[in-house]
Amino acid sequence: MKTLIHSLTGFIKGTGDALWFLGDVVLGNILCFRVRIGEVLKQIYEQGVQSVVIISLTALASGVVLALQGYAAISRFGAKEVVPLMVGLTLVRELGPVFAALVFSGKAGARITAELGTMNVNDQIVATRTMGVDPVEFLVVPRFLATVLVLPILTILAEIIGIAGGYFIGVYEAHVPGQFYLNLTFEAIRWVDFFSGFIKVFFFSFFIAWICCYQGYTTRGGSLGVGRFTTKAVAYSYITIIISNAFLTKFILTLWG
Amino acid sequence: MIELTGVSKSFNGQVILDNVNLKVAAGEILVILGESGTGKSVLLKHMIGLIRPDAGEVKIEGKNIAHHTERQLLKLRKDIGFVFQEGALYDFMNCYDNIAFPLREHTKLKEKEISDKIGKVLTLLDLKKVEAKMPAELSGGMKKRVALARAIVLDSKILFCDEPTSGLDPIRSRDISNLIRDISRQLHCTTVITSHNVRNALRVADRIILIAKGRIVFDGKGDEFRGSDKEEIQEFLV
Repeated sequence: MKTLIHSLTGFIKGTGDALWFLGDVVLGNILCFRVRIGEVLKQIYEQGVQSVVIISLTALASGVVLALQGYAAISRFGAKEVVPLMVGLTLVRELGPVFAALVFSGKAGARITAELGTMNVNDQIVATRTMGVDPVEFLVVPRFLATVLVLPILTILAEIIGIAGGYFIGVYEAHVPGQFYLNLTFEAIRWVDFFSGFIKVFFFSFFIAWICCYQGYTTRGGSLGVGRFTTKAVAYSYITIIISNAFLTKFILTLWG
Repeated sequence: MIELTGVSKSFNGQVILDNVNLKVAAGEILVILGESGTGKSVLLKHMIGLIRPDAGEVKIEGKNIAHHTERQLLKLRKDIGFVFQEGALYDFMNCYDNIAFPLREHTKLKEKEISDKIGKVLTLLDLKKVEAKMPAELSGGMKKRVALARAIVLDSKILFCDEPTSGLDPIRSRDISNLIRDISRQLHCTTVITSHNVRNALRVADRIILIAKGRIVFDGKGDEFRGSDKEEIQEFLV
């Protein structure tokens, strides 16, 4: 019973601290225009540009596998033309946003936590305060904003590359005419499909930014602590993406169908 | 300049500072001596508002900072230099950018003027050819010198040094102590240093305080410290 109360108290306190931190980032800095554009651009490069290859590879492989499995299953019913539709819709509505978010949190999210965590255990964050500079404004806000801005762009890229992967399988493996494949894909994907997936990405990017920045900013316990908090940040991000995706999917389907 | 009145602080029920009263005059070099874990760093962090007291007042130039908001404290800290035990240099910036950081943040100097100012500080600290180096490429002593350069580059009125000689060999330790003393004299800044190294403390300090069990058990000049027959001081001197 004591352990349960202790865990519950810890959870409530932890959630309160994380919400307070978020308030400081968003209300105390971003909405007060305390944003360093140069630092944001630097982070966009470090998080975004350097995640392009891994996200592209994941997206390409996803598109290829979806198309291969699709043809293997659907050609039994002689409905090969359904496959471009299936690949396109699955990528745009579901897999593109979720895979991009998972890969991004494992790469850029982990990097954010490890960087902030290392700065924390080496007193660099406290040193920022002693120099009269708000460490949230200087170190956290640029990473937070870069994550929120970059992931949606990476997701669009992932969706295009995923569809391209499906296209190559369709054309070279299943021998569907290229123009026919593209026409089917573009006819299948409506704006509502694109936005229903795209809206999710903003939630995912917000959660990744919040979780990874908070875990890094509160890292304790030297180099071991950096490892522990980084692992925690990635695990929490994954869980949040997967669970929030279920709720968002239900919500979006109820709203738009 | 700095005045602490009735400052008490506990962590998880353990008393770290117990009704501490202390005044540091302008231009004075004060060394806080004490064994590890006696609250030297906690006392220093109270003086810059990194830790708030459970009770008592902390005044900097007459202003009680104990209830200042973080934004007010950030403004106040522009006039204070702080040297951390391990330097706490940004490891993603080279030494030049580390030293330039406070100037870029708090002044409207042009890059040429910043470069000139850094040149002067580096000469003052006898630092050569370190501008392009990353902190990871520096030795412990060099890191502390660069950290000291960053702390004084804004011509700070107050300089705090948290165990500036820890982890250094006796020669480097002596050099850093002498450097802090010389810089403080040249810049006429009020300096507070925490240390557990008596020899360096005696070399640098205008005044020494000894902390034990959360209280100040000695407050006086170096000679008085040497000549004291108090048990805590004798233990330290041995």
